[in-house]
Amino acid sequence: MMYYIKLSAILFLICAVAAGILAYVNGITDPRIRKIQEEKETATRAELIPEADFPEVKGTLDTTFVYQRAIDKKSGELKGYTFVASRSGYSSVIKTMVGVDTLFNVIAIRVIDQKETPGLGANCTAEKFTDQFKERDISRLVLDKDGGGEGAVVSIAGSTITTRAITSSIRITLEKLQAEIKAAQGGEQ
Amino acid sequence: MGYVGEIFVMAMTAIFINNFVLAKFLGLCPYLGVSKKLDSAFGMGMAVIFVMTLASAITFLIRSYLLLEYELGYLQTIAFILTIAALVQFVEMVIQKNAPALYKSLGVFLPLITTNCAVLGVAILNTEAKLSSGSDYRFIDAVLNGFFSGIGFTVVLLAMAGIRERLELVDIPKSMRGMPIALILAGIMALAFYGFMGFKI
Amino acid sequence: MKFLSELTKGIIKDNPIFVLVLGVCPTLAVSTSVKNAIGMGFAATFVLVCSNMIISLIKGFTPPKIRIPVYIVVIASFVSIVDMMMAAYIPDLHKNLGLFIPLIVVNCIILGRAEAFASKNNLINSLADGVGMGLGFTLALMVIATIREILGAGTWLGIPVIPASFEFKPILVAILAPGAFITLGFLMALVNLIKERK
Repeated sequence: MMYYIKLSAILFLICAVAAGILAYVNGITDPRIRKIQEEKETATRAELIPEADFPEVKGTLDTTFVYQRAIDKKSGELKGYTFVASRSGYSSVIKTMVGVDTLFNVIAIRVIDQKETPGLGANCTAEKFTDQFKERDISRLVLDKDGGGEGAVVSIAGSTITTRAITSSIRITLEKLQAEIKAAQGGEQ
Repeated sequence: MGYVGEIFVMAMTAIFINNFVLAKFLGLCPYLGVSKKLDSAFGMGMAVIFVMTLASAITFLIRSYLLLEYELGYLQTIAFILTIAALVQFVEMVIQKNAPALYKSLGVFLPLITTNCAVLGVAILNTEAKLSSGSDYRFIDAVLNGFFSGIGFTVVLLAMAGIRERLELVDIPKSMRGMPIALILAGIMALAFYGFMGFKI
Repeated sequence: MKFLSELTKGIIKDNPIFVLVLGVCPTLAVSTSVKNAIGMGFAATFVLVCSNMIISLIKGFTPPKIRIPVYIVVIASFVSIVDMMMAAYIPDLHKNLGLFIPLIVVNCIILGRAEAFASKNNLINSLADGVGMGLGFTLALMVIATIREILGAGTWLGIPVIPASFEFKPILVAILAPGAFITLGFLMALVNLIKERK
């Protein structure tokens, strides 16, 4: 019995030392990781809607939903909103940052995180694909393969799943944003 | 799409479209090492399904009720691998005591599973995966994903073993025998599985 | 003299990938480009060297019954450290390697060397073994990645290497999963062939 207590004690001690070291390393690296991430997000937002500040707003209907209001740096006018849409693609979760104007027409999008197949799905970050989202309203966020007809989003050949995930995640999250804004404005009146 | 549809999509994705072995390169060591005979491949497959399902369940609980609760996310790797190692040891003891027949057929494979990266892989992937609605996995989704991933592993392991049993009878150049031809076979199989890629589900 | 032979054996004679066939999963998964291969190689080498040294140091007072869990804790700690460091200082590479950084824990090379070598040898030799094996792993990764990147994208380390006049169309499949298996299969056959001739 004593032997097993001794074994557990040694194992526990080693785990405790390891956890301590990791906590220390985490303390050093964590702020840096956060800072890099934040800087990256801010830079992407500025690319989508230039010359604006982006105060963050939490959703009231769905409290896990977060979006940013784009306020013009000079006039203080509301220029639009930015948010992140995410959904499972072919082999990874694809995150897209979307900027929309006050009428909810897409200004521009950037795919910020994906690990899709190199050479196929990974091409979704190319401007050739993302540029076609510009100036689309919610009714036109449909993929050609899903019966979008004329003027629909043209999918990347061989990567329908990837492109469908991006298109539909933007549409769904945009609907969510509209509902949130409506709720927020309703509260003000 | 109801929840049944969601499960169906998850199953098809894990088994065919995004197979653990052929598309994600997880669990290759047992895939190449234990695929020489059909019956040992079957035993390994069953053991992996069992451990993957259990490991998905337990690591999910540990993550949501211990790691995230106390902001210990950086201990995830160490916590997961220790859990899996302990789990495998525990399962081995229980099976040995209560089902000696099962132990005889699965026993030798269990210790190998600790270092099977597919098990740790599914535990980590469960923390990142999203449902089609965009929300995180819940407990039941994580367990089901573990189960289907295990099945996906077993399906390709059995297919590989079936081919390799026949390959024994074939005259191949000496330098290609064993591992090289097994790898090339795996490549051809992966190509075949790419045929599932464009399926609309 | 022993030090030198421990150092060099991992590079060719006991190459972890081509000869020992250990750690195949990360080899195939991250060898899509030379850059990823180098990153993965060094991350694994760092973990291998550190854990080899620590395990060799504590081998005296680790009870044999719990040695495997102890090794796993040591390895997992170093993997977590590498994971956090890479996320903080080389975020792009960290993102490319993704899941396969935490999976260094279950890379059979590392646990295998801990059990087979570091637990029986002194600090210096364990260090040499770790460096040698790590370099062998990195080199093998680079060879595979070189073939796949040149065939699949026409580049090496991101630099185009095939003259434009050649009208080379990248063979996409080399970067995809099947290409990985087939490349490694032929490379292993080549290693076998060379051994036979000797």
